[in-house]
Amino acid sequence: MEKKIGVYICTDCEIGSALDIDQLRKVAKKMKVPVVKENSLLCMKEGIEFIKNDIDQEGVNAVIIAACSPRVNYDTFNLDVPLIERVNLREGVIWSHPPDDEDTQMMAEDYVRMGILKMQKMEAPEPHKIEDIVRSILVVGGGIAGITAANEAAMAGYDVSLVERDELLGGWLAKLHKQAPTKPPYTDLEEPLIKGLIKEVQQNSRIKIYTSSKIEKIEGAPGLYDVTVRTNGTTESFKSGAIVLGAGVVPYDATKITHLGFGQYPNVITNYMVEELASKGQIMRPSDGKPAKSVAFIQCAGQRDEEHLPYCSATCCVESLKHAKYIRNQDPSVKVYIFYKDMRTPGHYEHFYKAIQNDPGVFLTKGDVKGITEEEDKNLVVEVENSLIGEDIQVGVDLVVLAIGAVPVTALGEEKLPPGVNPGDAFIPYVMIETDTLNLDYRQGGELPALSKGYPDSNFICFPYETRRTGIYAAGPVRSPMDMPSAMEDATGAALKAIQCIELASRGEAVHPRAGDTSSADFFMQKCTQCKRCTEECPFGAINEDEKSNPLYSVTRCRRCAVCLGACPERIISFKNYSVDMIGTMVKKIEIPDEDEEKPRVIVFACENDAYPAIDLAGLHRLNYTPFVRVIPLRCVGSVNLAWIADALSKGIDGILLLGCQHGEDYQCHMATGSHLAEIRLSKVAETLDRLKLESGRVQMTQTSIADYYKIPQILDDFLEKLDGFGPNPYKGF
Amino acid sequence: MAERIEPDLNFVKNIISSGGGSLKKCFQCATCSVVCKLSPDGKPFPRKEMIHAQWGLKNRLMGDPDIWLCHQCSDCTAYCPRGAKPGEVIGAIRNQFIQNYSAFGFLGKMVSSPSYLIILLVIPVLILLGVLFHLGNLDFTAIPRGEEGVIVFYYFMPHIYVIVIYVALVMFAFFSFVVGVVRYWKELLKNRKEVESPPSGSIVGSIVGAVKEILLHKRFKKCGVERGRKISHLLTFYGFIGLAIGTAWATVKKYGFGMMPPFPLSDPMQWLTNASSVALFVGLGMIIFNRLKDKSKAGIGSYFDWFFIVILAVTGVTGMAAQVFRLADMGVSAYTSYFLHLVFIFYLFAYAPFSKFAHMVYRTAAMVFESHTLRKIPLAAQADK
Repeated sequence: MEKKIGVYICTDCEIGSALDIDQLRKVAKKMKVPVVKENSLLCMKEGIEFIKNDIDQEGVNAVIIAACSPRVNYDTFNLDVPLIERVNLREGVIWSHPPDDEDTQMMAEDYVRMGILKMQKMEAPEPHKIEDIVRSILVVGGGIAGITAANEAAMAGYDVSLVERDELLGGWLAKLHKQAPTKPPYTDLEEPLIKGLIKEVQQNSRIKIYTSSKIEKIEGAPGLYDVTVRTNGTTESFKSGAIVLGAGVVPYDATKITHLGFGQYPNVITNYMVEELASKGQIMRPSDGKPAKSVAFIQCAGQRDEEHLPYCSATCCVESLKHAKYIRNQDPSVKVYIFYKDMRTPGHYEHFYKAIQNDPGVFLTKGDVKGITEEEDKNLVVEVENSLIGEDIQVGVDLVVLAIGAVPVTALGEEKLPPGVNPGDAFIPYVMIETDTLNLDYRQGGELPALSKGYPDSNFICFPYETRRTGIYAAGPVRSPMDMPSAMEDATGAALKAIQCIELASRGEAVHPRAGDTSSADFFMQKCTQCKRCTEECPFGAINEDEKSNPLYSVTRCRRCAVCLGACPERIISFKNYSVDMIGTMVKKIEIPDEDEEKPRVIVFACENDAYPAIDLAGLHRLNYTPFVRVIPLRCVGSVNLAWIADALSKGIDGILLLGCQHGEDYQCHMATGSHLAEIRLSKVAETLDRLKLESGRVQMTQTSIADYYKIPQILDDFLEKLDGFGPNPYKGF
Repeated sequence: MAERIEPDLNFVKNIISSGGGSLKKCFQCATCSVVCKLSPDGKPFPRKEMIHAQWGLKNRLMGDPDIWLCHQCSDCTAYCPRGAKPGEVIGAIRNQFIQNYSAFGFLGKMVSSPSYLIILLVIPVLILLGVLFHLGNLDFTAIPRGEEGVIVFYYFMPHIYVIVIYVALVMFAFFSFVVGVVRYWKELLKNRKEVESPPSGSIVGSIVGAVKEILLHKRFKKCGVERGRKISHLLTFYGFIGLAIGTAWATVKKYGFGMMPPFPLSDPMQWLTNASSVALFVGLGMIIFNRLKDKSKAGIGSYFDWFFIVILAVTGVTGMAAQVFRLADMGVSAYTSYFLHLVFIFYLFAYAPFSKFAHMVYRTAAMVFESHTLRKIPLAAQADK
């Protein structure tokens, strides 16, 4: 297809008055763009008609809109042409720089030039549509999360295979005697809801249930998974389009909590055991089978404790209150003590807390339980420090209940790091815990990469349910500590994500965060050296390897972050609309003023997810920043190829700033490890700079977020000041 | 070594049933102790009293000076984010306290329960009717008159009977109080942590200081929500004292100087008693009005509180009515009022150690203890100085 480019410059929103539009036009004309026009109403109906007219009459098929930021009006400019590119003259130039200014004009001209170059190097992506997509969802785990996900997906018209390890469905909740209140007035115990849900799932003809089963193998990729399930010695295989992991949690091993006497004293039991006793009828002392007349609950037993579980399991406070009610209902003369670190009863549970608190026989206090000792008759004495009573106290009881926490199934196994990576390394691409849950046929390992404390979630605030495996969504307490209603909400969300994934994959489109992107990575295999960097560094494990270590790219696993493009030393990976050559050309064609003009040039590679919006916001707030920067938005700063840095510096660019997301434990990188990888790679660029006799400080990575928009001018000024110390790039003019 | 504690579940239930129904709502945020202007900086109240009560730690509360240092300004109740009404709860604890310490505990239970109200009223009525029957004075229309036909209560009920009955009652009350205070003091000393408050100075000095403070109503001045409390309590307090002095003076005049009542209105002592009555009425009226006005903020109060307020008011009203009807020469009404007046005075004295009347004694004791053990005065009060 012959590319015919049309550049449309909008003169509204002060662009026309702040810039010399004729000069901009000349820039485009000089680059032999056949159609260069201006319009003062480009985003209005008239403006759209104006462009459409050229598409129809002149055969323009590659439209460059030089107007506002690509982050606004994207639906307005969603024209029916193969290629559209936006040049950000409004937020990026005139709203953030003085009008009628030489430097502002130079900035605008560079952006127009870069936009045209980008368009010249760009090809229209061809979506990999999957005709035989499997519209079926595999749900792993038959507890509340799994059952809800199965029911929701089936209700939305998708077939479901539900695989449960145990003989019966329902998980822990099915073992409950009663459940904590979920309905107004939120003070009364309820029959467990899960019993009804189990029936629903069993009666749904769309849902195929595999109990006493485990997943032996999952091969393939979203849209086309091949799943092998083993049930009582026989295996069965089926296809699946996406996966919801609702494998749940198991109780923490209470015998590890030695200071609280579990396993040592018979009358110290766990909250899970209370539920069993209550279901059988009466809560008794294990030592003599007599009903307990006084019971102490110790909250956060082995939780919020660096030596055990460092986190809060989110349910134990409400569960212990419920258990207190079991006991008080059984015998109103029983005294129940609850020793807590903090009573955590969020939302409507506050009503339940108040109701239990109001019972005269329930004695609550904050305090640190120092220890438990046994007296005659196997009675127990609990010693509590820093209690609200005013001093350290001892309370004698018949029975002690430890409110222990729960561990996600994904954390139960041996931790394995990628080859060559050691614990304590500055960058650990992923941690694999071999739990025998999913058994994925992925080059990076068979399970979901474990993040904080063995939970597989990728970022619980920004993108819940997302894991670092495309098409596999975690829901319920396996992803984050949560109660039953939250797990149900979670499972519904994850089911929806799974459905989205199947539908997007069928159209050849990417999922979050580049949802709808139809581009995909092309590997120029003749030049591949089998270095494995792409397969190791892909944050989503999208690339498998064959026996000869050749990368085997899977388009539906890919999120199009292009981190592989930054990884490949041979530069063989490219996208039709995003390549090393494309960005490299843009970098090289930035006009570099002579040294004596004292107009430095700095390239800002900005992450499109957070940093670029932050720069846009700075413009929106009319915060002025230096006109010496040229901002290039990237899919992820992890896609920065070192070739760009070398190109830029050898061309005379004074400095390069990478603006990426926060990385580390509380990372905000939409591509999980992209920003961290970028920083690691930059640390290795120093060598190249030395070879060029350049200061390594000319290249810098700064972590930022969208909320930091007001810091943008300062960040840029600080970097320019640092560069000023180095003096101009000596390669200027070569 | 940590102290072994054993909650008294019945004590918790008793507090709840005697006006502390909101007790368990407290979640120990300590807003109450922060807003209380009477609370000292070290070991402030009422936060700790709330959890001690929730946990049924009766011994600690029975030896706690702070439950009486609280003047129920109700700032705590007004600011409590949880509706736990610490002011009301402490009031209920005081009720339990009175029952616990008075020499005849069963009377305390009867006084604080509405179901015994009638029985308690019947006792003085029967005793006084018995006296009238003995005198042959049950026909109120046939009571002999004095000179010029004026009504003379002496002929209706000779003073000697009144004096015998009421002196006996006062002695009973006094005995009960002494027993109670001695027990309380012992418990206070036992519960005192030596490190925090060594006894100092003379006990006489502490008593003088406490009495002075009470006479000046210094603490009431600090109340926030119940601002009217100082003036209303002051009027009631002095009204009551004025009437007591007037009564005592009349007795002295009769038996010391042989002067027969009724005394003319021009007698300065009549001025005092009438002025005191007015003060009492105004004071009580203000108390009732304020309680009703602030019930949403400060709580309506318990039966125990209202019992005392009403008895005091009725005593005043019947006394005033007796005087007015006497002067108006309305015989039956005058004798009836006088009879009722005597019934309620009986009530007031006989049940004093078991009703809220006892606060006068126990609070004084707590204030003496406070001053004696140098329990710190609040920062706010220091700033005032």
